[in-house]
Amino acid sequence: MAKMTLKLPKMATSMQNGTIVEWLVQPGDTVAQGQAIYVIETEKTSTEVESPFAGRITPLVAIGDLLPIGTPIAEIET
Amino acid sequence: MSDALSKEQAVGVYRTMARIAATDQRIQQGLAAGALQFQYYPCGGQEAIPASIAPLLNDDDKSVITYRCIHDIVAKGTPIREIIAEMYGRETGTSKGKGGPMHLSDPNNGLMVTTGIVGAGAPIAAGIALGEQMKGSGRVVTCSFGDGAANIGAVHEALNLAALWQLPVVFVCQNNLYAEYTSFAESTRSESIAGRATAYGMAGEKVDGTDPFAIHAAATRAIARARAGEGPTLLECVAHRLQGHAFGSEEAHMDADKLAAARAANPVKRFRQRLIDSGFAEEAALAAIDAEVAQEIDDAQAFADSSQAPAASELLADVFASVADIPEVGKRPVMSAASIPDSAGRKIMYGQAINEALDQALAADDKVFLLGEDIEDPAGGIVKATYGLSTKYGRTRVRGTPISEQAIVGAAIGASMVGYKPVAEVMIIDFAMVCMDQIANHAAKLRYMSGGRTSVPITLRMLTAGNIGSFGAQHSQSLECWFAHVPGLKIVAPSNAADAKGMLLSCIDDPDPCIFMEAMRCYFVPGEVPEASYRVPLGQAAIAKPGTDITIISYSWAMQEAMAAAATLAEEGIDAEVIDLRSIVPLDLPSVLASVGKTGRALIVHAAVEFGGFGAELAARIQEAAWGSLKAPVARLGARYTPVPFAQNLEAMHFPNAEGVVAKARALMKA
Ligand SMILES: Cc1ncc(C[n+]2csc(CCOP(=O)(O)OP(=O)(O)O)c2C)c(N)n1
Repeated sequence: MAKMTLKLPKMATSMQNGTIVEWLVQPGDTVAQGQAIYVIETEKTSTEVESPFAGRITPLVAIGDLLPIGTPIAEIET
Repeated sequence: MSDALSKEQAVGVYRTMARIAATDQRIQQGLAAGALQFQYYPCGGQEAIPASIAPLLNDDDKSVITYRCIHDIVAKGTPIREIIAEMYGRETGTSKGKGGPMHLSDPNNGLMVTTGIVGAGAPIAAGIALGEQMKGSGRVVTCSFGDGAANIGAVHEALNLAALWQLPVVFVCQNNLYAEYTSFAESTRSESIAGRATAYGMAGEKVDGTDPFAIHAAATRAIARARAGEGPTLLECVAHRLQGHAFGSEEAHMDADKLAAARAANPVKRFRQRLIDSGFAEEAALAAIDAEVAQEIDDAQAFADSSQAPAASELLADVFASVADIPEVGKRPVMSAASIPDSAGRKIMYGQAINEALDQALAADDKVFLLGEDIEDPAGGIVKATYGLSTKYGRTRVRGTPISEQAIVGAAIGASMVGYKPVAEVMIIDFAMVCMDQIANHAAKLRYMSGGRTSVPITLRMLTAGNIGSFGAQHSQSLECWFAHVPGLKIVAPSNAADAKGMLLSCIDDPDPCIFMEAMRCYFVPGEVPEASYRVPLGQAAIAKPGTDITIISYSWAMQEAMAAAATLAEEGIDAEVIDLRSIVPLDLPSVLASVGKTGRALIVHAAVEFGGFGAELAARIQEAAWGSLKAPVARLGARYTPVPFAQNLEAMHFPNAEGVVAKARALMKA
């Protein structure tokens, strides 16, 4: 079983930063691949982001902070 | 030949669709996890299109595709691990990590070009098809583009040319009903793209792009036509996009109900079920395929993860065939010493020298061919540069074209990618503007974007009518600077007949795209030209007149003014050294610096507008490298900042002339 790190994704051409405005999961939840796990807000829009992996999720960042793309935001034990 | 998919083929199509979907998902997984960060164009919904055509193509059949490419490239046979590695910018990727998600190339599997410029692949596909047609290879070219691309001029030119020449190409319009954020209906009044085929005089067919049986049947007919020499087909495959334009893009502009319906009818899942329902395959067999595909994707990911980023030396590699041709200070172009035979006093005009070079190139190598507007006899070109050649070599090798500069340059690019050495005429350099995308985004960059796996050895001849009176603002420019700003182009501007011949032959031999700038002012000027075939190397300036007091650097027709000025200056006791740069790229900076080191003064003279002209670049480089030996600031004399005027008195004022050169030189001598 591997530990996968999720980083803040680049959701649009112009995106440099984003803010997680809501976690849709609790620490320790088991998530399915494709399940919406958080809501990200960028300059333009807010979007639900789906989990790329299935497994036990641990969010690493709080909501509300402006984060550069590539910032580690969660870990998933698959 | 039956156009129905056999059981075995149908299962094969499913496997390809599953491999496409899994690759697409793996990339999106990397993007969602933030491991990959780029604009990605998913292919969900369109998997069936290339998967159903693939069984009809051989490895050496060619394809030209676009940025929304994963389905096309997987179906063409490129190993998935090389695709994933390219996404991660690894040296093991299809393009050594230098192309990226929009520019995958895999010529081993016939994947020739992936372009990020909407519609731009069509002229190149036509060119590749032209090459295969001339070879008589029986190969076919497929060219994918979107419904949005169908409204691009380059596609129109390519369709017309392909129909005119009955080229073996299948234009596959993948109509996913949207172009970025604009729907099909908002882009055209045409009910279908395929319906336009009739107007071009080619076959057209529209099919359900989610139905492998329908796609395969139509593609069978189209490919059979192409292989039989019956010309191109415009095959429209309609398949609703299953997501926004790019990964993460909003979907607000898409009809929500139709999108939901299309998703519910996911073509991969639907085809899987259909195979089971129709008794083509057992669930277990398909599950086994799914498991193999999952393993292949995991292996591909591991391959990418364990691969290295490209070495630093890759930065400069593949701009040209040779790194030495990159015009950077201190790098002298490597070339063999020019051994020019004796002219024995034989004099011909510059224009005749060009004709002679083309004639000798055509005679020496059957891979050389010419194309352009009006180049065939009896016209033989607007200034007779190609006169007599179509009569001597036939209209296959000296081919007149419609007035379609994008198609002309694209055809040259495509044919060069499959072994030809095309010499395309763009008539007047000002017309290069209408095909600049083919030149600057494609000819110049394909070697680099493919990590050196493809090359574009073409010569583009262009004429300027500057300073001969009466051609005005749109036929008289000197645009070398536009080309010089695009890494990957060689730019040659001969001033005399001997150089015109020897450098044109060098351009035709050269492995890189060459812009060969001809000047009407020089066309009817005679010069001593050896009759035999010879080469004047690119990147080697000539000392047209030796001197000690000031270095005057020029090229093309402005050399006439520079030489006249040097004669006047000599009468005043000023001994100017005149350097004919001959090529802008490669740039013989060492010869310039050697001269300026000796004279301490430099004056650059060119016909192009002085502001932002190539003289600025050269002046800066001289200043940086020769500061210590300069006795005066480096000076420039170019054309005034105006469009080229028609009235002769104004045109004369616009362009630099000998008097102006003399005045500048005198001023520098006093500094
Ligand atoms: C010449 C050009 N204009 C605009 C763009 C920006 N652009 C990228 S994709 C796209 C939409 C193209 O739509 P379509 O041809 O239908 O292909 P699809 O993306 O749907 O596969 C546009 C406008 C571009 N890359 N090139």
